Amino acid sequence: METWEVFRRHGHREPFEHCGTVTASDHEMALLTAKECFLRRREGEHLWVVRRSDIHSFQDESLLEIAADKSYRFNSGYRDVVEKRERAKARAKELASS
Amino acid sequence: MTDPLVSMLLALADDELVLGHRHSEWTGFAPHIEEDVAFSSIAQDEIGHAAAYYSLVAKITGDDPDRLALGREKHEYRNAILCERANGDWGYTLARHWLYDHADALRLEALESSAHEELGPLVTKIRREERYHLLHADTWLKRVSQGPVEGRKRLADSIGIAFEESLGLFEPFEGEQDALSAGWIPVSSSELRQRFVRQVAEKLDALGLPTHMTSHAEEGAEFVASSSGDLIASDNGERSAPSADDGFGGRRGRRTPDFDALWEDMTSMYRTSPGARW
Repeated sequence: METWEVFRRHGHREPFEHCGTVTASDHEMALLTAKECFLRRREGEHLWVVRRSDIHSFQDESLLEIAADKSYRFNSGYRDVVEKRERAKARAKELASS
Repeated sequence: MTDPLVSMLLALADDELVLGHRHSEWTGFAPHIEEDVAFSSIAQDEIGHAAAYYSLVAKITGDDPDRLALGREKHEYRNAILCERANGDWGYTLARHWLYDHADALRLEALESSAHEELGPLVTKIRREERYHLLHADTWLKRVSQGPVEGRKRLADSIGIAFEESLGLFEPFEGEQDALSAGWIPVSSSELRQRFVRQVAEKLDALGLPTHMTSHAEEGAEFVASSSGDLIASDNGERSAPSADDGFGGRRGRRTPDFDALWEDMTSMYRTSPGARW
């Protein structure tokens, strides 16, 4: 018996989302039981099962941490751009009229 | 005499109710938790189908569906004896589930073109759920038949026992000739039985499970209803199936001791306070 991760989709335009696990001997049995465990009350319209051992991740989770300032990767890092542009416009106007 | 349509619907409903009840006895005891949920869900489906058939009967006769399901005496039930058998082990439960759902699928395929205007569409809906039951049964059978020797042996033994009794599902119900003439069901029980035996033999063969009892059944006696309503075998009056005496007569209201315990349990609440509502 293996552990199978179960993913469920609410509508055909929605992404599959993880909803739980089942223990089963193979993918057919996993689908069979996942349907009744996770789709019994119309919680979605489609299911995937994936063998847990087929899912790969980093051994060292600290690799995923962001250590230094990466504010340029976020919208919030550019909050003062509008202000700077307004100031530049005003300056340009000032120069034009002088 | 009972209306042949009612008699046919009661046979269907009683099969589903009684087997659904047996399946539900696994709740909390199935081999693993996921299967517990799946099998309990199948049990609920079967009882839901029974409720739909009882409601149709109630509409025709002005009866109450709950009374039909739970308020009848033991000899008034018309389920095949296979359905009332105690669960035994998981091997027997699977064998019966597999045989029953294959038999039911053939019967429903025929009933989808029933001349009764409400039954056809109802059966279309029921068949959608039955497809899952069939997949469930086939998947389990494949796994166990390819698995370790003990499981495989238990399954094969159970199929041997349950197969003989599964033929009792195709005993003609009371008034079947009239139901056929009226088009309530377009295919006779004996024709369905032949299709069933053929299909089961093919599938067992593909799984590498023994099929000797199916070839036996194909050669075996053709059951016909006698004028008294009793079933007789056409070849010198003897049934060829070893356990046939135990497995037949359900459609005429013959019940086994297995049914007594089930009936006591299933109807106890209804008998305590008849007409009670949830």
